[in-house]
This record gives sequence, structure tokens and C-alpha cells, in this order.
Amino acid sequence: MSETVIPSSATSALEVRSISVTFPISPRRRFTAVEDVSLDLTTGESLGLVGESGCGKTTVARCMVGLQRPQSGSITVDGVEVGSRRSPAERRAVQLIFQDPYSSLNPRMTIGAMLVQLLEAHDLAHGAAAEQRCRELLELVGLPGDSLTRHPGAFSGGQRQRIAIARALAVEPHVIVADEPVSALDVSIQATILELFADLRDRLGISLVMISHNLAAVRQVCDRVAVMYLGKIVEVGETQQVFDDPRHPYTRALLNAVPHVRRDPPPHRLRLEGEPPSPLSRPSGCSFHPRCPRAEERCVVAEPALMPVTGLPARLSACHFRDETFLAAPMLRTSKENQ
Amino acid sequence: MSALLEVRHLSVSVRRGGERFHAVEDVSFDIEAGSAFGIVGESGSGKSLTLRAIMALLPAGARVESGSVLLDGVTLDPKSRSARAQRRARVAMVFQDPLSALNPVRRIGDQVAEVPRRVLGRSRAASRQRSIELLGLVGIPEPARRADAYPHELSGGMRQRVAIAMALASEPTILLCDEPTTALDVTVQAQVLDLIDKLRVELDLAVVFVSHDLGVVRELCGTVAVMYAGRLVEVGSTAALLPAPRHPYTLGLLRAVVDLDDPIGVLRPIGGTLPDPLHLPSGCAFHPRCPLASEECRASVPPLTRVDTTGGASPRLSACFHADQVEAP
Repeated sequence: MSETVIPSSATSALEVRSISVTFPISPRRRFTAVEDVSLDLTTGESLGLVGESGCGKTTVARCMVGLQRPQSGSITVDGVEVGSRRSPAERRAVQLIFQDPYSSLNPRMTIGAMLVQLLEAHDLAHGAAAEQRCRELLELVGLPGDSLTRHPGAFSGGQRQRIAIARALAVEPHVIVADEPVSALDVSIQATILELFADLRDRLGISLVMISHNLAAVRQVCDRVAVMYLGKIVEVGETQQVFDDPRHPYTRALLNAVPHVRRDPPPHRLRLEGEPPSPLSRPSGCSFHPRCPRAEERCVVAEPALMPVTGLPARLSACHFRDETFLAAPMLRTSKENQ
Repeated sequence: MSALLEVRHLSVSVRRGGERFHAVEDVSFDIEAGSAFGIVGESGSGKSLTLRAIMALLPAGARVESGSVLLDGVTLDPKSRSARAQRRARVAMVFQDPLSALNPVRRIGDQVAEVPRRVLGRSRAASRQRSIELLGLVGIPEPARRADAYPHELSGGMRQRVAIAMALASEPTILLCDEPTTALDVTVQAQVLDLIDKLRVELDLAVVFVSHDLGVVRELCGTVAVMYAGRLVEVGSTAALLPAPRHPYTLGLLRAVVDLDDPIGVLRPIGGTLPDPLHLPSGCAFHPRCPLASEECRASVPPLTRVDTTGGASPRLSACFHADQVEAP
């Protein structure tokens, strides 16, 4: 196993070191959902985690907030390695926002009761101070003050997601992990929630991990992006640089698959064949090789390590051909030739 | 000359609680064989109900209040069972979630063979043969072997291909697609869109594709209709409409979508929220969110009228009093 570590800085808010997660599928067999994933998040930074369903991105998120215990590896919050049971302060430090704001809020509790309960449980504020804090939280996420006496049912999807964000902010976290925060929302309001995340990042200096299959949304909000495939990180780098010059064929294929609304799709589109293989039967060598148009014999045999790309600072790629640019690459079959 | 499918002044009402409201109001459009027509709208806009009305498959509590859906110039008698059955043989539908469209305890080959066997009355062997043929047509590798698989053994994209094969089993002339790629990953979505486009060309199918995703509609459909609060607000050829919308809602929707090549930090959501269908605003339902709204917009509903001057074969329609003031996206 490679010992590549993403460069860490002194002000690390969250560090994930070589975590692996396996789940039992029968008394004798386990399957590996996440394998040797390392990520580092500095204070005030936002990181996008992208990949297709089943790639392990949600499992990584659950490990970050402590809902899932990794079999190996470690997680460090604010410079302190967290144990298998987190202290209340450690739990407060990393908060999760779920995809579906319809199922993540208790329909029988008013917004005020929900937030006050939370503040009192964590001994952050009581009585009148708690109510004052609730109003501040609502203002922070752009909801009217009279929302406190209402139930979740009185709010639209976008407003509910704002409530979920206010609830996460109530315990003054250092890191927010948002799992597909806009996927369940209507198109016309997705942008308002993305704006809110960008705003919170800038105003409160909160670190953000955004998990999404929406690459355009990640590009708007996240400074860095990590691409996952079949439980492993295959590429990491500064978002704009990764999107402009992907150094893993899978990243390029993902980018090419996004439909464009206001512009014609790019020429030489790479259309992937097939679907991600089951993590139960991981292909040999590079697990992307059966779908990869660039694959050669060595890809079938040797698994490429996640290593720095020559000439690109802070970029890691797990491809044998990471030093080639895949942009204009004529060796990649285009969508027309695929048919 | 009449089109393959004509939807004429269709209104569908839905019961919610004790109240009944119009979820689809005065919707009209034509679809020709071999063409792809996209209907774009957000949740509650009435796009899925419009599809279901075409299929004569409205959910409980919903009913056609007025208007008609003509297939080859023939209207449907909603009370006649045989007429409904005939309609459903000509028109097929693919749903968002393929897993709920498939029977989990039957082999996929048997499920696809059911229509040839029971509806078209073919022999058991011929039905099986046809089923394998259809599975091959939709791109299932090794169809003869995979026909014995159960739905849970297939990936999401393969399940949607099986659902499409089932839809094609009755040899329909129209394929209705209700967000068939929304539950799929982007790389698989691209494959399924390619498949639907291939089938449209090869089988001369008319495709009606409902989606909230303008990008998907842009890839697939020659014509696009935009729905808001139960009404069509703009219709036109995709190539002409998307670069130059003539309705403020279309413009807002186009701007709200975050594209991969947008400048960073310039998010442009539509202000306000979708209206409650039980308490629609007066006049144009979009006026509370519209930057162009005037007194006229609050007083009366703007009719869907032709706004292009070219007189071309694919007219541009817009339901806005200020259609000429809509900016470029």
C-alpha cells in the first residue's frame, strides 16, 4: 500500500488518515466500501467529494461525523485524534446535513422547540438566551424570525434545508459535512442553498465537506475536489484545475457526462461503457480499467497509487498515465465512435 | 393534416384534502412521429400528470376536467375499458424508478415476454424469442442469458433498460418518459439518453420526455415546452428557445441552473418560492416572482400566443405580456 499523504498544514480542521471501512455481507465475507482514503481539510476550506452512487462517498462522510467507525485508519478533529467514542465537544465540532430535508426534520416539533432543545442539551444557551440565539440562527440562514413557532410542514423544501443548516450551525461546529444538500431540491432554489453555503464559508470561516454528484455545484462552492471510484480516491486537486485539466480518465468521463444547459457539449466527449463494477468483485489492477479507454496491459496487472502529478502542485492522481493530459487526447474514443 | 398525438386544451384536476384544484390547465401541443418533445418544469408543475393523462393512467383522485388527447385524430373515451387498453398498446411509458416498475420476484425475460404473450397473443416460444430480441435492442449484453436474471441482480442502468424493453414490447408509436434518468448516475444517464435517442430514430418513435433538467432535454429533444403551475408558459424548438427565452420563468430557470462552465460566484436563483396550487396568485401565476410583472400581469392570465415573426414550421409560443422584454440568459 502506498504511503502517499496529502500535504497537511498546521491549521487542519479535519484529517482523515488511510481509513478503510468494510461491511459484512455474510458470516464469512465482508466487502470493502472505503479503502485507504486520506483527506485533509484546513480551517475555512471547502472540499468536494464526488463520484457515482456506491463509490463510498457517503460512508466517508459518516466516518467524518462519527456515525460510522472505520476498521482501520484514524480521524483527527482540530488536531486531536478522535477515539471510537467521541466526546460531546468532538461531536459538536463536525456536523452532518442530510440530503432529504423532508425526512431529516421531526414533523411534530416546532423549529423553535427543536433548536432550543439542541442548545440546552449541549449547554450552549438556556431560556431567553436560547431564544435569542435561535433568532440569530434563523437570520444567519435567511429565514424570518416568526418561523420559530411553526412546524416543518409549513416550509418548502429549500426552507427546510435552511432549517437543517441552522440546526447544524446551532452547536457551533468547525466542520460541516453536507451529503448531497441540493439534490432533493427544485432547480430554481438549488442555487439559493449553494449561495448560502458559500456565504457561511466566507462569513463564519467554517470548513465544509460537500458530497455531491452535481459537479457544477461542487465547482461553485468547493476550493478542492476529491474524486472517488469504487471506494478509493482516484484524483484530488484544486477544483478549477481538476475540472480544466483532469488527470484521471474517470474524472474526465464524469465531467463529459454532465449535460450542458446554455452551451453545446464539448467535442470529443468521452462516453463510458458499462457501469461501475460491484465492489464485491473488484477488477484486478486499476479498478477502472474495464471501462477505461486509455487502459493498457499494465493497468490490468498493477494498481496505480495515488501520487503527485508532475508539474501540477497539490494534485494527486491514481492513474499510470497521470502525467498525460486527457483533454484533447485523441487516444480517447469519442461519443460518436463509441456508437 | 393531424399530428400523431394532439393534446387539446387539457385540464386535469386533483383532489387534495377536501379541495379540488386544477393541476394541469389548458395544455395543448402536437407531437409528430419520430420527434422528441421535452416538457420541463419543477415539482408540482403538472408535467407528470400531463403524461399520465396521455396514457389514460391518472392516479386516484385525479381526473380530466376538459380537453382531449387525440391519437391519430381519434379521441379517447375515458369510460371505455377497451379504448383505454388500445391507447396503452400504442403509447408506452417509462418511469423514474425502474425498480418499482419491475416485479422483483419474476425473471426479467418473463416480464418482457408478458406483453407479446398475453396482449399480442403470440406463442410461448415466440414471446420468449421476442423478449430476448427486445433486451438485445435496449443494449443488455448477452440477452439470452440475462433474460433469466431477476431485477435485483441488475444495476440501476440495466434495470431502466429492461423497463424500456417492456415498454417497447407492445410496439408502441409513442414513448412517454417520466424523468427516466433522474435516479441514475451521470455516466449511466448519458448512456440511457443515447439509447432513447437511438430508439427514436430506429423505430420512428415519438418521444415525450418529462424532466426538471434542462440539460437533459437539450441533449434529447428537438422541441421543448416549459410548464409552470399547471400551464405551458413557453414552447419552441430547443435550439431557438434555450439561447433566447421569451418567458421570464424560462429565463429564470436557465439562469438558476449551475453549468460546469459558469463563472464562479455568480449564482442566480429565482427569488420567491413555487406557488401553492390551492392558492394560485391572480393573473399570471409567475407574477410574484417575476421582475417584469406589471398591473396587467396581476389582473389577467396571459394567453399562450405565437411570438416569433419568422413564420417557420416550429412556432415559438409564450404566455407572457412582456415576451419581447425577456433578456438573454
